Amino acid sequence: MIRFAARKPSTTSFIARRQRWGLYFVLPTVIFFAIFFLYPIIMGIYYSLTDFTLLRPPTFVGLQNFEDLLKDRLFLKSISVTLGYVAGSTLPVWILSLFAAVVFFEKFPGREILKMLFFAPVLPSLVVVATIWIVLVNPNGLLTAVLRPFTGLAEIKWLTDPTLSPITMILVHDWTAIPFYMLIWLAGLTGIPVDLRDSARVDGANRLQTFFKIELPLLRPTAVFVASISMINAFQAFTLQFTLSPGRGGPVDVNTTMGLLIWKYGFQYFRMGDAAAVSVVLFAMIMIVTALQLGLSRGDKFSIQ
Amino acid sequence: MAERTQVTPVGDVRRPDMAMERSIRLPRLRPATLVWFTMALILALSFFFPVFFMVTSSFKAESEIFATPIHWLPYDFQGLAQYQKAFDQVPLGRFFFNSTLMATIDVIVTVIFSAMAGYGFAKFRFRGQRLLFFAVLATISVPFQILIVPLYVQIFNYGWADTYAGLIIPGIMNAFGVFMMRQFAYSIPDELIDAARIDGAGELRIFWRLVLPLLAPAAASLAVIIFLFSWNNFLWPLIVIRSQQLQTIPVGMTVFIAPHNGQPQWAVSMAVSTMATLPVALLFIFLQRYFVAGLTMSGLKG
Repeated sequence: MIRFAARKPSTTSFIARRQRWGLYFVLPTVIFFAIFFLYPIIMGIYYSLTDFTLLRPPTFVGLQNFEDLLKDRLFLKSISVTLGYVAGSTLPVWILSLFAAVVFFEKFPGREILKMLFFAPVLPSLVVVATIWIVLVNPNGLLTAVLRPFTGLAEIKWLTDPTLSPITMILVHDWTAIPFYMLIWLAGLTGIPVDLRDSARVDGANRLQTFFKIELPLLRPTAVFVASISMINAFQAFTLQFTLSPGRGGPVDVNTTMGLLIWKYGFQYFRMGDAAAVSVVLFAMIMIVTALQLGLSRGDKFSIQ
Repeated sequence: MAERTQVTPVGDVRRPDMAMERSIRLPRLRPATLVWFTMALILALSFFFPVFFMVTSSFKAESEIFATPIHWLPYDFQGLAQYQKAFDQVPLGRFFFNSTLMATIDVIVTVIFSAMAGYGFAKFRFRGQRLLFFAVLATISVPFQILIVPLYVQIFNYGWADTYAGLIIPGIMNAFGVFMMRQFAYSIPDELIDAARIDGAGELRIFWRLVLPLLAPAAASLAVIIFLFSWNNFLWPLIVIRSQQLQTIPVGMTVFIAPHNGQPQWAVSMAVSTMATLPVALLFIFLQRYFVAGLTMSGLKG
């Protein structure tokens, strides 16, 4: 790839020599990505085809790991857990974050300070988020107390009830995610030309009509982006399940996402081959989302050139 | 109500209360404004409440945490006692040092090398440029989950498991940073760079003295979000670090989620949570413009 400059001392070689500086500037980054991205990805695919425990060198077993995964009850469950979590942490997030963006796009007194307060959940790390919510969702904690007039229940097992627990995870996740995606919708709304909106209003369109007829269609690139990023993030769910759910993915594995399963197989049981195989399956699932995003955003001005 | 956009005279100007409203330029409170304000207020308070609860609870006595009805402010104000307890139980100072070290190195290296690579991709034409750029760009879409097993094996084979090198080095570059800096480097006028060349400045000097300062606003946004990601990073430090002395805050503080010696200590865990969030909160308050710009760009261009 590196072309050595022509030896004749002409202006073209002078320019070529100068242009080669571009290569020097990008080289450190390219080498870094080759070592810490490209190489591990290739090795990850290779490890998924091996029996490997870190203590012994990997031995090639072909597609054995994948065949085992098909019979692995925990793996099959982790797929449905992950898909459920993806559903719960995307659709409500899209709608509520867009709604919040529309609200904070309006002009009213105190808007900036209220927006800052609303945005606060984005700042703490997910471990801090889990620590706060463990207290709030204590069986007889504040959330139970707030809902008591409606439920009449003295205690609610937010985290230990197998049906409720995944919903609690989604609730906590959405609390941190909604303000973040609000910011992105807000940038999208700001990008819509003012005169388009104004002329619609002069023509007698009300707020709902301008939103659905003018703004929403123009927000399409933002929508594609929010949809794909939130899905990709949800597919990788790990930290909340690790810290917030009882017994790291429990109860009875209802919160064992594929991301958590990779950690369990790889770093709890040291079954590196199996962990790599789960990674490859997860990678394939995320690639489908990425491909959909690229397909949908073709021709959008925000798309990657 | 909303379709009434024509400016209508607001009441009688001769009425003193109206005149007052005009003179201090209060926004006219139309019913629609009130509706938007109320919705924003409900959103803001409900989303902010858990953060408020975290901060206030860190000053409460342990027995107050689960009080119903809620103690909005501590009845039995503890001062910094819960904070002190946290430092007594774990090497919290070390955690902060480690997190600061990792975040600082991540920020500096990422910003400089992203600016360099972004400039190289934007302003030069060399063989293999497109291929290399797409190769770097492709890494944006590789989820970190995919990398952890092979990357850990790699770090383990280097002898870097449970060391600062293993903790920090794999995270010091960021493809999104390269992409973002390339977009901004495009807007630097070629004439400016050529003028510097005619003046006899070397390419490295041009980058360091001319290009990097011009990229500073974008670099500030990148720095702020890299700090946020690095400071809050959990998965990689969890995997690569075993000894407590090398742990970062997010991993180190997980011990506070579990009861200590059978004693729940939620007030202490709230104190640790507050401390862990404080640097990011300060960054957000004082550098809000860069913070929002960085997050939005990582959004729009991710």
